[in-house]
Amino acid sequence: MDFDAIVVGSGITGGWAAKELTEAGLKVLMIERGREIRHQQDYTTEMKMPWDMPFRGHGDSDLFDRDYAVQRLNRHFTEFTQPHFVNDAQNPYQTGPDTRFTWFRSYQLGGRSLTWGRQTYRWSDYDFAANARDGQGTDWPIRYADIAPWYDKVESFIGVSGAKEGLKQLPDGQFQPPMALNVVETHVRAEIAKRWPERCLTVGRTANMTEGKPEEGRAPCQNRSICARGCSYGAYFSTQSSTLPAAMKTGNLTVITDAVVEALDYDPATRRVTGVRYIDTKTRTRKTARARMVFLNAGSFNSVHILLNSAPGGLANSSGVLGTHIMDHATTLSAAALMPGFEHHTTFGNRPTGIVIPRYCNMDQMDGIGHARGFSFQGGALQSTWTQGNRMAGIGAEYKEKLRHPGPWRMVLVGFSDCVPRATNRLTLDPVKTDAHGLPQLRVDFAFGKEEHAALAQAKAEAAEMLIAAGGKVLMGFDQPGPAGTAIHEMGGARMGHDPKTSVLNKWSQSHDIANLFVTDGAQMSSSACQNPSLTYMALTARAAHAAVGMLREGRI
Amino acid sequence: MPKMKSTMERREFLAGMALLMAVAPMAAHAKPAPSPYQPLLREVAQLVIPRSATPGAGEVGVGAFVLLALDHGLEGTRGFDHAAWLKTALGTGFLTQPLARRRSALAALDARAFAGDAAAKPWLAIKRLILLGYYTSETGGSKELQYVHVPGRYDPDLPLKPTDRAFSSDWTAVDFG
Ligand SMILES: Cc1cc2nc3c(=O)[nH]c(=O)nc-3n(C[C@H](O)[C@H](O)[C@H](O)COP(=O)(O)OP(=O)(O)OC[C@H]3O[C@@H](n4cnc5c(N)ncnc54)[C@H](O)[C@@H]3O)c2cc1C
Ligand code: SF4
Repeated sequence: MDFDAIVVGSGITGGWAAKELTEAGLKVLMIERGREIRHQQDYTTEMKMPWDMPFRGHGDSDLFDRDYAVQRLNRHFTEFTQPHFVNDAQNPYQTGPDTRFTWFRSYQLGGRSLTWGRQTYRWSDYDFAANARDGQGTDWPIRYADIAPWYDKVESFIGVSGAKEGLKQLPDGQFQPPMALNVVETHVRAEIAKRWPERCLTVGRTANMTEGKPEEGRAPCQNRSICARGCSYGAYFSTQSSTLPAAMKTGNLTVITDAVVEALDYDPATRRVTGVRYIDTKTRTRKTARARMVFLNAGSFNSVHILLNSAPGGLANSSGVLGTHIMDHATTLSAAALMPGFEHHTTFGNRPTGIVIPRYCNMDQMDGIGHARGFSFQGGALQSTWTQGNRMAGIGAEYKEKLRHPGPWRMVLVGFSDCVPRATNRLTLDPVKTDAHGLPQLRVDFAFGKEEHAALAQAKAEAAEMLIAAGGKVLMGFDQPGPAGTAIHEMGGARMGHDPKTSVLNKWSQSHDIANLFVTDGAQMSSSACQNPSLTYMALTARAAHAAVGMLREGRI
Repeated sequence: MPKMKSTMERREFLAGMALLMAVAPMAAHAKPAPSPYQPLLREVAQLVIPRSATPGAGEVGVGAFVLLALDHGLEGTRGFDHAAWLKTALGTGFLTQPLARRRSALAALDARAFAGDAAAKPWLAIKRLILLGYYTSETGGSKELQYVHVPGRYDPDLPLKPTDRAFSSDWTAVDFG
C-alpha cells in the first residue's frame, strides 16, 4: 500500500488536507480511528421527534454517567447527538492532580466537523502578533497577509454566512448573506453602539449556508438548529457535506475507518517518516501504511499523542517543546439578563447561530484590566418556552396556561478570553496507564493563570454594563472560567515558530526536524486569540497542503 | 444520491426521506419496571398539567415516563427514592381523597418546595420530570405547544398575540429559556 500522502484523521482539518492534496493530483490515504458515517444515510436521529426517543432527547442519565461522564458535561451532548460523541469509558485520558480538563471528542468519520458549533472567525494581526507584543509564547512566523488568501478560499468553499462590519480585529471574509439579528439583538446592537462606538454586536458568522450550492448537493439552511445530529441538507460545513465528496470526486482518495494510528514510522538515515502504524480495531491487528509524506490531522491533542508515542521523548521534538504550551479559551456565562419591552414581539424558526461582540480591548491601546490580550462575547437573545416552568411555582390549569405561551425575553453573553501559552500547560504520556489498544494514555496538565481570570472579570463587568445600557435587568453573571476544555478549542502542543530550537513546526506547518511531516490541526497554534479557531486551522491546512505539493514536485521532500 | 435539478426538488426528496426515516423501526422503547407508584405518579402528573383543550399529563403517560426517568437517574435523582418520598409526603390516603383535596395538598407541597423548604426539595426534580415528560410528548410538544421540525426560514421579528402558542421545537429556548 503506497501513497503520496497519508492524512491521519477525517475531521475539520483532515477533510481539508485530503481535498487539497487529492485535487493537486496526489494519491492520498485517509486513516480514521472511528466508524464510518455516511452523509444523509447515517444521521440516525436527524428526523426524530423528542417523543420518538426513549428518553425524550434528554438521554439516559445512568448510561451517560457510566459511558459519557465527560461528554455529558457539554451542552451539545444530548440523546440526539450522543452517536456523534466519544464513549469516555472506552477512551480514557488522565489529568494532573490540580487539573480539571474536559476533553470533548468525536471519534468517527468526519470527527468534530459533525458536532462543531460552526462559528467561523478570521484572526487578525492583533492575534498573530500577540506573542511578539507581550513576550509570552513564541512569535508566530506568519501574519494576517500570509493567511488571508487561504481564508478566502476556505470560506468560499465551505459556505459562511455573516455580516461585513469593517473591523480590524475581526476581518471580513467571503460571506454569504448574513442570518438576521432578532428584534432584541437589533435593539441591543444599537444601544451598545450609541454608548461604545468601538463595540460591535453582529450576527454570528457561521458555516451554515444561506445560499445553496446545488452543484455540490448542498441546500440552504432550513433553520432547524439541530445541526450536530448531522444535516441531510448539507447546509452546514462538515467533512461529509463538503470536503470528502470533493476529495472522492478526484478518484485519488482511499479512506480507511476503524483504524487507530499509534505511531509514525521514522527512518533516521533519511530523516524522513515513511508512513504510519495503525491498529485495525475490527480485526485487532496491527498494520502499516507507507507514503511519501504524512499530514497529522487527528485533532490537536491526538496529533501530539501520536508524536509522543512515535519515539522515546517524542518524534520531531529536537526542541523539547512538543506537548507544551497547550491552550483553551477561558469561558464563562458573563451575564444573563431579562430584556423587558419586547412582550409583543416574537420570532419564527431556529437560527443556528447566535451573536458575537468581537474583542474591543487591548487593541491599539493597552486598556485591559490586568491582562494584555483579548476577550469577546457570544450569545444571543431568546424567548423562554416550557422550561421556564422549572423555575415557576404553581400547578394546574393556570400554570399550564402560562406555559402555553412564549415567556419573557432574555439575553445571554458568554465571554471567551484569550489563553496565554504557558510551558507548564502540557501533554505527556501517562507512564503507567494504557487504553484498550495498549497505547499509553494521554495526560493533561493545565491551569488558567491570572490573565484569563482578569479578562473574565472585566468581561463580567462589561457584559452587565452593556445589557443594562440596553434596558436589561441582569439576573446573573460569572467571572470564574469553567474547567479547561469547556470552550472545546483545545490547541497547541506542536507550535509553529521561527526557531527550530524553540518550536516544532515552521511557517508551512512542517516539522523543523522532518521535512515530510506536516501537522496542520490545532496543535500548530502558537497563540489562541479569543475567537473560534477552526477556520484558521482550515486555512493553515490548505496553505500547508499547497506548500507541501510544491516541495514534493520540486523533489525537496 | 440522485442528481437534483432544483433546490425545490431536492427539498421534496429530503422531505420524502425524512418520512421514510420516521417510520423506520426504532430501537424498542425503554420500559420501566412495573411500579406500585404508577397510579400516584399518573395522578400527580395530571394535577400539575390537567386537561384543558388538550389532554393532561397523566392521560398521555407522563406518570410512567417519570418512573422510567427516576429509574435511570434523570435530573439528578439517582440515589434517592423519589417516588416513595412523594407517597409519604402526600400521605397514604392521597389517591382516595376528593379532587379538591388532592389538588390543594399538591399545591401546598409545591409552594413549600419553591419557598425553599428543604424537606420538600425532592419535589422540584419530580416536577421537572413531569414537565419534561409532558412537553416532549407528542401531545404536549405538538398539540399543546407547537412543534416544527423543519421551519425552513427565520423571521426575526413577528407580532406576538396573547393567544400565540410557544414552540417546543425552539431548542435554544428549551436550553436557555
Ligand atoms: C460541540 C462543539 C462545538 C464547537 N464549536 C466550534 C465553533 O463554533 N467554532 C470553531 O471554530 N470550533 C468549534 N469547535 C471545535 C472544532 O470542532 C475543532 O476545532 C475542530 O473539529 C478541530 O478539527 P480537527 O480536524 O483538528 O479535529 P477533529 O475534527 O476532532 O477530527 C480529528 C479526527 O481524527 C481522528 N483521530 C484522532 N486520533 C486518531 C488516531 N490516533 N488515528 C486515526 N484517527 C484519529 C478522530 O476520530 C477525528 O475524526 C467545537 C467543537 C465541539 C465538539
Ligand atoms: S439548522 Fe440548517 S444546517 Fe443545521 S441541521 Fe438544520 S438545515 Fe442543517
